[in-house]
Amino acid sequence: MRWFLLIAFAISPSVLAEDLLPEQYRASGQDALYGQALFSLHSGEYQKALGLNQALQKRRHKNTPLLKIQQATAQLGLGMSQQAKKHYKKLLTAKSSKLISHGTRAQAWFYLAKHFYNKGMWSTALQAIHQVKGGHLNPQLKDEFHFIAATLELFQGKAKQADKHILAISPQSMWAAYAFLNLAVSYTERDVHINQVDAVFEKAKMLTKYTQHPESLEDKINLMAGQFFFATGRGRSAIKHLKEVSLDGAFTSKALLTYGWALTEQWQYHDALQPWYMLKTNHSPLNQDVQETLIAIPHLLEKLNAKVMALGAFDYAGEQYEMIYKQLEESAKRLNTGEFIEPLLAQQIPDKWGAFAAIDLSLPNHPDRIYLKDVMSKSYFQGELKNLRDLHVMRSQLNSGIEQLAAFEKVQITRRDEYQQVKNDKRINLTSRQLLKLNKRYKTLRATVDKAFKNPSGVGLASEFEKNQLASFKQLNTDFKALDENGHYLQRLRRVEGVLKWALSQRYYERKKEVSKNLAILDGKIKQTRRQLKAAKLAFRSTPKSFNGFDKKVARLRTKYQQQLKRLDIVYQKQREKVGGIVKLDIKKRQKVVMDYQLQARLAAARLFDETSNKHRVVAGAEVRQ
Amino acid sequence: MKAIHSSITAVLCLFSLLASGYLMAADQADLDASIETLKSEVVSLNQELFELEEQLLYPATTEFAVFVSMAAVDDFAVSAIKLTLDDQDVTSYLYSAQQVEALRRGGIQKIYIGNLKPGLHKLTAEILGKDTDGRSLKRTVVADFGKARSSKYLEIKITNNEKQNRPDFAIVEWK
Repeated sequence: MRWFLLIAFAISPSVLAEDLLPEQYRASGQDALYGQALFSLHSGEYQKALGLNQALQKRRHKNTPLLKIQQATAQLGLGMSQQAKKHYKKLLTAKSSKLISHGTRAQAWFYLAKHFYNKGMWSTALQAIHQVKGGHLNPQLKDEFHFIAATLELFQGKAKQADKHILAISPQSMWAAYAFLNLAVSYTERDVHINQVDAVFEKAKMLTKYTQHPESLEDKINLMAGQFFFATGRGRSAIKHLKEVSLDGAFTSKALLTYGWALTEQWQYHDALQPWYMLKTNHSPLNQDVQETLIAIPHLLEKLNAKVMALGAFDYAGEQYEMIYKQLEESAKRLNTGEFIEPLLAQQIPDKWGAFAAIDLSLPNHPDRIYLKDVMSKSYFQGELKNLRDLHVMRSQLNSGIEQLAAFEKVQITRRDEYQQVKNDKRINLTSRQLLKLNKRYKTLRATVDKAFKNPSGVGLASEFEKNQLASFKQLNTDFKALDENGHYLQRLRRVEGVLKWALSQRYYERKKEVSKNLAILDGKIKQTRRQLKAAKLAFRSTPKSFNGFDKKVARLRTKYQQQLKRLDIVYQKQREKVGGIVKLDIKKRQKVVMDYQLQARLAAARLFDETSNKHRVVAGAEVRQ
Repeated sequence: MKAIHSSITAVLCLFSLLASGYLMAADQADLDASIETLKSEVVSLNQELFELEEQLLYPATTEFAVFVSMAAVDDFAVSAIKLTLDDQDVTSYLYSAQQVEALRRGGIQKIYIGNLKPGLHKLTAEILGKDTDGRSLKRTVVADFGKARSSKYLEIKITNNEKQNRPDFAIVEWK
């Protein structure tokens, strides 16, 4: 059964949460919130999508079932499988919902099954896959559907149902190779005849050409076949398959180890040494296959009767095991002090989280990276690490939220100060006073102007001298009337008076033009001041109290954030312990294996030492006797 | 008596083992559930913070936002949009294939949000993209609009001109 797990984890192509969504477009052209929620969801920003979805649901949007599907999809994207599962089940089983067509329903069940399959929740995945109606499924997904269904059925031990699905897969599909590999593995567990098992392995190998990484898959099939044949005592068949595994792949070390054992089983001891030496020289002692080789080599040397060499090799193995054990001990310590988990979390992308955000598992120059790679390749560990990473990201989000709230508080204070400044501004008083002065000046000027320009003859503009002259003319006129009978002086007087009046009338128009211009300027000033006053009054009246009400909201949110942070810290610690526990357990298992090997090596060394010493004693005794 | 005592001890040991196993499993399930609850709460909190931010930084009297939408256009994929407001560059955005698909599936993207004073303004959108044959396409759309003392929303709409079999670009005002 453990082989099945290997296959299942090896082929977990990425499924995005939005693949589960039906092809639904926004109903209202200008529903910004809904449109944005859709955009976020389809572009993989699940957190934003879920937040907007919650806001939409608060607004009691009409398309509630659709919103629920989108909510569940975003939840799935954020790794909230339990909550998503609840929503999906409720929605997809509700047959009355016209929103979901048969095709969409089938597709949604399929992707849901695939999601749970990838997460290792096989019974839930099987329940979901049983809901898929193959007839309604997109033809492009059919092969994959049959593959997942077959694998899940095999997990449950239902071989017949699995066979049906395997036979339904198109041979040109990439899933065919994986399916036949699964079939071969299931045959090995079902006591099927060896020739049939070999045929299925061969078929799987043939079909690898349709997969994305044919070489790697072929190596894997050869290794699995080799291990199977070796385990069933068919060394030659095992050798045939193991020889085909490439020397620079992921399965090289295991293949070399098994190849050596298969040759040993065939009494080809000399030949068996070669792959083991190759394995020992090219790989780190922390590799478990190398650890096995360390004890296997002296065992083989002993079989070759090279007892002294074997003794040396056993001693060397014992020393190596001691060193490996110490290294593992140090790793466990590093785990306790957080030297392993914290750097791993620190190298993750800070704002990426959720089920589909991959974890950066590279451990550059980390002393534990060789065996941690093995632990990390396990899907269960990755799932738990993802949860821890999500908590880590959430913690930094909460912290940045608290910082943002502090910044909001500053904005609020600035706004309040601005408001107070406007309210305390003396501009209105100053402008009002200036306007009053200008108006007064205008009025006085107007009165003077009106008086001066009352008579268009320009008399109003005459100077004091001219006024006296005009008065003299009047007096002289009366006097001349009495004295001059011919009117000769009177005519001359009128001429002089006419010249003065003409000069006055000429000046009147020029002065009037000038005065009008000056009055217009003054009028403009008054209008401008009036506008300023109006604007200042408006600003005073309408200064936004945009800081009002926010202090309470900010304070309330801050309290919520701080509480959440405390709660998160508790959960984070628990999750960290859980993740650490997985690695610790793995380290313990490795230590136990190393200790077993060491014990075996020491016992064998002691035995060999005894034997070789006896031999020396026997030889020495014989010499004495001679 | 000794036998009874030992059997009771054995039963108790078995019971405690079973109980501890059950408790451990329950603990694991509880932890998963608490993580999910935490996630849900953090999402709600962040949404609340986001709403507060929008209310505080972009008051209704000055708020101005530009959205992008693309309806039923299969033979054009937008690759970038650059916005210029009153002859000043305000934002530019590069689209991933996933985001283009999101627009195609009815999503609306809020490409820009800011504050704008009342009066007459000019928005220029430079749209870059590729058609199905891989040919680059560049279009510029301009909109003159007035802003009063209330929110103003504009939408850059990419639609399909079925008659001429080419994409159409326009800036529309939301009423």
